[in-house]
Amino acid sequence: MPPRGSRAPLPPLLLVWALAACAARASEITFELPDNAKQCFYEEIAQGTKCTLEFQVITGGHYDVDCRLEDPDGIVLYKEMKKQYDSFTFTASRNGTYKFCFSNEFSTFTHKTVYFDFQVGEDPPLFPSENRVTALTQMESACVSIHEALKSVIDYQTHFRLREAQGRSRAEDLNTRVAYWSIGEAIILLVVSIGQVFLLKSFFSDKRTTTTRVGS
Amino acid sequence: MKSKLIGFLMNFWISFSLALYFHTGEREEKCIIEDIPSDTLVVGNYKVQRWDIHTHGFLESAPGLGMFVTVTSPTAEVLLSKLYGPQGTFTFTSYISGEHIICFQSNSTRFAVIAGSKLRIHLDIRVGEHFLDESAIQAKDKVNEVNIRLEHLIEQIHHVTREQDYEREREEKFRKKSEETNSNILWWAIVQTLILISVGIWQIKSLRDFFISKKLV
Repeated sequence: MPPRGSRAPLPPLLLVWALAACAARASEITFELPDNAKQCFYEEIAQGTKCTLEFQVITGGHYDVDCRLEDPDGIVLYKEMKKQYDSFTFTASRNGTYKFCFSNEFSTFTHKTVYFDFQVGEDPPLFPSENRVTALTQMESACVSIHEALKSVIDYQTHFRLREAQGRSRAEDLNTRVAYWSIGEAIILLVVSIGQVFLLKSFFSDKRTTTTRVGS
Repeated sequence: MKSKLIGFLMNFWISFSLALYFHTGEREEKCIIEDIPSDTLVVGNYKVQRWDIHTHGFLESAPGLGMFVTVTSPTAEVLLSKLYGPQGTFTFTSYISGEHIICFQSNSTRFAVIAGSKLRIHLDIRVGEHFLDESAIQAKDKVNEVNIRLEHLIEQIHHVTREQDYEREREEKFRKKSEETNSNILWWAIVQTLILISVGIWQIKSLRDFFISKKLV
């Protein structure tokens, strides 16, 4: 077994497989976008590859962000302002570096946590058909269908986790708001009521001194 | 077995060209958040390049350029804090479930304003072990290949189960928070009504006594 970190010479078949696997990538990153900030990501895509960009805002403010996707020529493929969640699929029309940016420039003081998942190409087949002589056995096709099902389970779980995080963030905001507002209202209530009584008393006290002065 | 598998896969990884990249200032710290269940292995692969003002391009390798990688657990405990070279792989296993923060900062001592340079960071982070098992290709025996695939599938299922356990924990926290909000609202509404009534009664009594003492009533 070659030691970790060293570049062992790859047999040709493995190299071919490795290169094929290169074509399919998925990057999912959750990051914090400060207020008035813009964060861009770049990805090199080959022509004809089918790609999907999916993003969701998890915490912060109104849970919305601006998103923009450009191709190597600078043509805007996708542009949405103040979106909470969206999914966009496109096929790369040419080779080059594609750029997508998330912007929180419209917000003055809320940080946003944004999650995105950028899928490039389709996943390579589990049992590649290059060196096969027969069709897939039952075991192998069972493996393939279980793998596909598990991939979608993991995908749904991720989405559920994000929605739950969003819901919990709102619930926590609500809790703090209720606590502060209630305390503030109780204090205001006390202060205003007691102040009213003393104010009224002060009106009548002044009137009495003026009436006695008039009388004498 | 696990470490051998990881070691073997690392070789492939480092020889791949890292896909997604973003730009950052020289001394800027960039963090990403990973919300993961406990006992999950996270493997991260990065490559950093520096902008060269002379050639107006990103250098393939900048000597002496390194990257501090810091991983913080949800309880603010540092799991990993190491200086790696311009290209490297880091791994960590989460002990507690929650939001782990992975931060990158270069060890550059230059200032971006003066040098006018920026860094390009290529990043690839894998959570859990659901990358495909390339070592199966080497297996000439068909039964072995299917065995390895099945092992990989079992790993995936374990990952799904761990995520679901984590989901249960989070749902409980969420429910507690909502119930707390509910009881907060109820409690404060009662307190405010009591304050209102008692202060109202005190107002009337106080004013009545006041007017009687002033002989206006």
